[in-house]
Formats: sequence, structure tokens, C-alpha cells
Amino acid sequence: MVLRIRLARFGKRHSPFYNIVVAHARTARNSKPLEVLGTYNPIPQPPRPGDTNGRPWKEIMLDSSRARYWVGVGAQPSDTVWRLLSMVGILEPKFRVGQIKNEVIKADSAAKSLIPPRTTTAAATETA
Amino acid sequence: MPPRLRCPNLLCATSCYPSIRPSSLPRLARVSREFSQTSCQRATLRRRKFYEWLNGPGSLLKEPIPGSTNYLGAYDKYGNLVRARPGWTRKRPGDKKAEGEKNDVATIESEEQTPAGQEIIDELEMSVRRDEEKKNDARAAEQDDKLPPETAEDLRPFPQNKHFRSQPVLSEELREAIYQRVARDGMSVSLVSVEFGVSNERVGAVVRLKQMEKEWIAQGKKLAVPYSKAVLAMVPTTPYINPSLPENKGKRPITHEAINDLIVHPATRQQLFVPVSESRHFTRVDAGKAFDNDLLPADERIPHPELVQAERDIASGLSIEERRQLAEERMEKEQERRRQQESKRLEELKKVKTVAGRRWDFVFQDVNVESVGRDGRSPKGVGWRYGFPHEDRKKGQVKIPTKVEA
Repeated sequence: MVLRIRLARFGKRHSPFYNIVVAHARTARNSKPLEVLGTYNPIPQPPRPGDTNGRPWKEIMLDSSRARYWVGVGAQPSDTVWRLLSMVGILEPKFRVGQIKNEVIKADSAAKSLIPPRTTTAAATETA
Repeated sequence: MPPRLRCPNLLCATSCYPSIRPSSLPRLARVSREFSQTSCQRATLRRRKFYEWLNGPGSLLKEPIPGSTNYLGAYDKYGNLVRARPGWTRKRPGDKKAEGEKNDVATIESEEQTPAGQEIIDELEMSVRRDEEKKNDARAAEQDDKLPPETAEDLRPFPQNKHFRSQPVLSEELREAIYQRVARDGMSVSLVSVEFGVSNERVGAVVRLKQMEKEWIAQGKKLAVPYSKAVLAMVPTTPYINPSLPENKGKRPITHEAINDLIVHPATRQQLFVPVSESRHFTRVDAGKAFDNDLLPADERIPHPELVQAERDIASGLSIEERRQLAEERMEKEQERRRQQESKRLEELKKVKTVAGRRWDFVFQDVNVESVGRDGRSPKGVGWRYGFPHEDRKKGQVKIPTKVEA
């Protein structure tokens, strides 16, 4: 039987919460899985207190060594789980994770170059 | 009820005091205020007296004396500064410009040597003040026009309320010194609090606000410096005594407030009568327990228990060497505890991996599958549990958030 690494939806109406599970492909979504690898909270949380960038965040708990093992023995991740696992480097990115990463880095560097205009003016005055 | 009628002789008010009132203002106001329901605009006795005061004694308050508070209580009925010597005259603004720089230096000097009038009855404070008085006496001959330090009466903003005294705030230099001591020297908040005589909470607030200020400066934001300067010039401030300067040698910082006050715990607000047998030692620990089982005794709830410990060491007759050693041991222990906390926090951070997304970050936290236990039913396990009903409809489940992370 095919093993799948997939999400099992828990939580209430309008407040989804997922367990990342390893289960047989033919079993029901919320039936008892072989193993619970972690959780995924798809609702973005407000920025953490110490966070200087002030970006919202999604919390994911994952036993990565165990996930690696299950992928190694042939468990097939669903698309969403593939996306998540590729973020921690367990799988090859398939769903433009890398692309988005590059975009973010580019935007960050652009913002950084915008912030200190003083250095540029100082340099300009020096050259002049 | 009939509608109110407007007074017919409105104009009289404006024409009566052309010299007193700014002439343009009332007329303009009248044009735009046709709807005004003000009952009487005639010149009553009170109004006349008010304008007399405004143009006489009250006009002095319009321009505050630099480096001094600007309160009604400092002046008598005729507009004389009470604390000034009979011959003292106020400098005109023209003079001020002429010797602007000199004046600045003088005010800084006077700030440093006049912690006076700040009304903390403290021996240290008194000694500092006495020093100053001595100095002031010495200088009095050469500086006739210099003001004596503010007294308690000068710190009354409301002359009718004799018991209200304006309390000093932290001066800019002191705040900077506190921030530097915490951020640059890495001293703990409680140590800094003891050193400067500023409460723990205030030190924390100063550090946070200063941090924010520096961030704003780094971002190139504009600060309201003139405003803060103007306000700080008009309220009493606790000055900073810089020990590195040669003239401050041997001086100690001026205490801003009492730092070791016991905070009133809500559980102790009730009056309790606890019968205790005579043979029993009823200590403060027991008193704390009597109010609430979780309430710590007062000795541990005060902000600086280490100060009490230091006094105990003195009382027990230890020599200064032994006391220093004990204090150092205690501090070492405290620092060790803090280091451990810090390393624990860093370890936790290491477990977390953040991947930037387009709109939000994905924060991956490493967990262990084994935490569910052998039967897979342990509540410590990761994820939503199987075979257990959710408890949110149970009695006594609080769903309103009880704290906010800030």
C-alpha cells in the first residue's frame, strides 16, 4: 500500500489546523495515522515581539529526521507537504519556493539600499 | 424653555480694552462666531481683575526663567519672585541674546549644582544640597544676579493646593547615562537602579525608549527635540552627576525616588485577622501565606532584596572584606543564572528555522515524534490528539486572551 505524508485537518470552522501525518493513502483523512510528524498552522500569526522585520509568520512543527526517514522509505508527500518539506531542504523544491526566496532577498536588498541616503550623499560630497 | 437671547451690547467688550486685548482676535472671533451663546460679554469686575493680572503679575509667567520651573507658587501677589533677593532683576530677552552662550553654560552649571528643591528628604540629598549652599554662598558675592535654588514653595503649580508638589523627572543626561550603563556596559537593570536611585520599572522604560529613540535617529526620523527641551526646562529634573568629571569627585548620584518600596499586591488589600497561638513564631513568610497561598513574603517581593541582605551583613558585624566577598558571590550566582537563561534562549532559537515567504515567514520548529510515548496517547506529544474530544466546550475554559505579548 502507498504511504503518504499528508495533512490531516483539525481545528474548528474558520480556524484550520493541520497535523502533518504519515498514513496509508487509502485511509480517511482524519483516521489514526501511522505517525504524526508535526503540525502546520496555516493562519499567519502577528509579528513576534523581538522581530525587527515585523513580518507575520506561520508556525510549523516538524520532526525533520523522521520526515527524512519516511521520504527515504518511499512515502509520497502531498503537494502541500512537498512545499513545506522543500523549505527545510528535505525535498527538491517543486512549487517555486526558491523563486519566492530570491524575490524576497531582492526586495530586502532594494529596501536596504533605500534606507541610508546619508552615506550616498556623504560619498557624493567626498567625491565633489 | 425660550431660546436664549444674545446680549445686545456685545461690542462694548471689545471697545473697552483695546490696549489689553489683542485687537484683532475678538473681532475676528465675533465674525466667525455668530452662533455664540455666551451669555454676557460685558466687562465684569472679575474679568477686569483677570486682565489686570494678565498684564501685571501674570505677564512674568509668559516667558519662563531659563533653568527654572514656571509655577504660580513661585511668585507673590505683586509678581515678585519670592526666592529672589530684593535686588534681583530679570534679564531682558535682549540681554539674553547678547550673552547667549554664557547663559547656556551658566544654566548647565546651575542644573548640576541645583538638584535643589527636588524635595526628596534624604540624607544624601541633604548633604549634596548643603555642599551647594556652601558653594552658592561663596559665589554669591560675585554673582548677584544668580537665582537661589528653588524651594518647596516654588514647586507648587497650584497655589490653592498646598500639598501638591511637582515631582522631578529624569533629565536628559541622566537618561542617557542610564541607557549607556545598561546597553554599553551590560549591567543588570537592578544594579543600575541601585546606582542611580531610579526604580527598576523606570530604568526599564528609559532603556526601551532610548533604544527606540536611537532606532529612529538611525532611520532618519525627526525628533521633537525643541518640545522636549522646552518641557524639561519648565519642570524640575533630577540632574546627572558624572563621576568621571573632576569637580564631581567623591559625589554620589542624586536619588530620584525611593527604589525599594513594596508594591501592594491585590491579595493584601483586604484586612485579615488570623488567630495565632502564642507559642508559634508568626513570621512574614506566614503573613504572606495568610493572605494567599502563592503570595511570597514581603522580603522577597521588594524590588531589591540584595540591599536588605547587604544591611544584614553590616549588622552581623562582618568586616568590609567579607561583605564584599559575599556580595560578589551573590552577584556571581545571579550572573550565572542569567547566563544559563541566555544560553537556553539561544538553544531554543537554534531549533527554529525561518524561511521567508512572499507575505509571511514560515517558522519551522524541530520537535520529536517520540514525545507521544509508547502508546501514542501522551498529552505531551506533538499535534492534535486522536481519540480525545476537544475540551473547549467544557466548563471553566477561558477563551478570552489573558495576556498580550509585547
